[in-house]
Amino acid sequence: MFSISQDFAPPFKLISPFFIIGSIFYLFSVLFLFFITGENITMLSGAVLGFVHLFLLGFVMMIIFGAMAQLVPVVLEVGHFGVELFYAIWPLLMIGTLLMVLGFVSYPMLLPFGGVTVLIAIMIFIVEIFLTIKKVLKLNIIMSSVLIANIFLLIGIIFGLLMALSYAGIINLNISALLRSHVFSVIGGYVTITLMGLSIVLLPMFGLSHGFSLKPLKIAIGMMSAAVLFVILSSFTNSVLFEYFGYLLATAALLIYFYLVQIIYKTRARKEIDIYAKSLIIAYFSMLASLALATLYLIVGYEPLLLGAGWLMFFGFFGFAITGHIYKIVPFLVWFERFSPLVGKQKVPMLADMLPKKSSSAQVLFCGVGVVVVAVAILLKDDMLIKAGASFLLIGAAAFVRSIFYMINYK
Amino acid sequence: MYSKEELFLAISTVIDPEVGFNLVEMGLIYDASCDDDGKVYVKMTLSTKACPMHQLIQQWVKEAVLKMANIKEVEIDLVWEPEWNITMADEHVKKALNRS
Repeated sequence: MFSISQDFAPPFKLISPFFIIGSIFYLFSVLFLFFITGENITMLSGAVLGFVHLFLLGFVMMIIFGAMAQLVPVVLEVGHFGVELFYAIWPLLMIGTLLMVLGFVSYPMLLPFGGVTVLIAIMIFIVEIFLTIKKVLKLNIIMSSVLIANIFLLIGIIFGLLMALSYAGIINLNISALLRSHVFSVIGGYVTITLMGLSIVLLPMFGLSHGFSLKPLKIAIGMMSAAVLFVILSSFTNSVLFEYFGYLLATAALLIYFYLVQIIYKTRARKEIDIYAKSLIIAYFSMLASLALATLYLIVGYEPLLLGAGWLMFFGFFGFAITGHIYKIVPFLVWFERFSPLVGKQKVPMLADMLPKKSSSAQVLFCGVGVVVVAVAILLKDDMLIKAGASFLLIGAAAFVRSIFYMINYK
Repeated sequence: MYSKEELFLAISTVIDPEVGFNLVEMGLIYDASCDDDGKVYVKMTLSTKACPMHQLIQQWVKEAVLKMANIKEVEIDLVWEPEWNITMADEHVKKALNRS
């Protein structure tokens, strides 16, 4: 008989802080946008670095770590090595993120402290995941994606720490060489490969898709891994050839992944375009738009194109892919904790009943408009337009936080 | 003791909370039989191997069958061959899921 993954699932009280804090950091990230102006919107400005870390560490990483606490036993079919370790991860990640953001914005001396705190949180996560993977006898492609992603995360945070020490003036290293390696390891290597692997489990599960091959996923993950290695290599050899080859591989990897996603979408049995489907449609079109802008940047070299590509990849692709999945994962966690013991004894809600229709729709609508307006504002370097987009996003983010609390408190 | 249809009827009280249909109309129950000693065998699958409700759904199936009079034991055989797909579901399920 097939092993029963839910045996190993962590308690809801362990996972819920990741989702609550992650959603609040999403709101903070949007508020931060109001402090970004045409003057400080450059790749290495403190405001941009602060914003990127607030969003990526506070929202993206926080939610991914919480989701992984729940999904790793499902995907790996073994229990966690030490699930209690997750109780230490969210407070450390939260404090470290805040210190790092303050460090980037006003107090560079805080950067090493924030960096080390984040490093400890991520190291606990990585070690826990590695020791959990060690229990698996045979790795499939999804399990391998978790392993590969976490190796890149380890490499990425080491580069990040070295950068934090250089940024604070404690050691003297080439920050721009480290930056490219750090960004590609964490974004391409960890976040993207994690989303690729997990989404190929979750998309067919929620859409009831069957009969597709996982070969494109294997190719996409292989190419993305090679892309990250080439870009890291280019940082330290100053090889433009390696660098551009890395970019080309990464673009091809994402396009192949998108090809698989659209096959899953076309073969789904559930045709309803619910809030989950809407979120993912926006996410994947943002990804394609981001790739288009990044390609254009490589041709014409206009920096706002790169910033726009980054924006669409972060707030468009990562943001909507994560919020969309939250509308599926959180109701399930709450239902499992609160209602599953009542099945057969009294009427229990369906998972769809636990979703706040108005606030989730408001989040998708306002954040969708906000993402597009801010993307245009970045390209035009227009302060007023950034604030206009941020205003849409603020309403959307507030609706998102409201949705999280609604789902978590559903009785 | 009980026919396959009677066992399926009992199992049809188990609803998948994600899709809102019962396991029988979803086509997830492949076979069921009962011997004279009250021992029931249920052959079933799930819509995906990654389903986080594996254990719960099997438990609900067991409980639904154990509610029938004189049933003493329920054995569940969770299989992945043949792999489930939407063509195995009842027509009204297919129609409902097909609505965009």
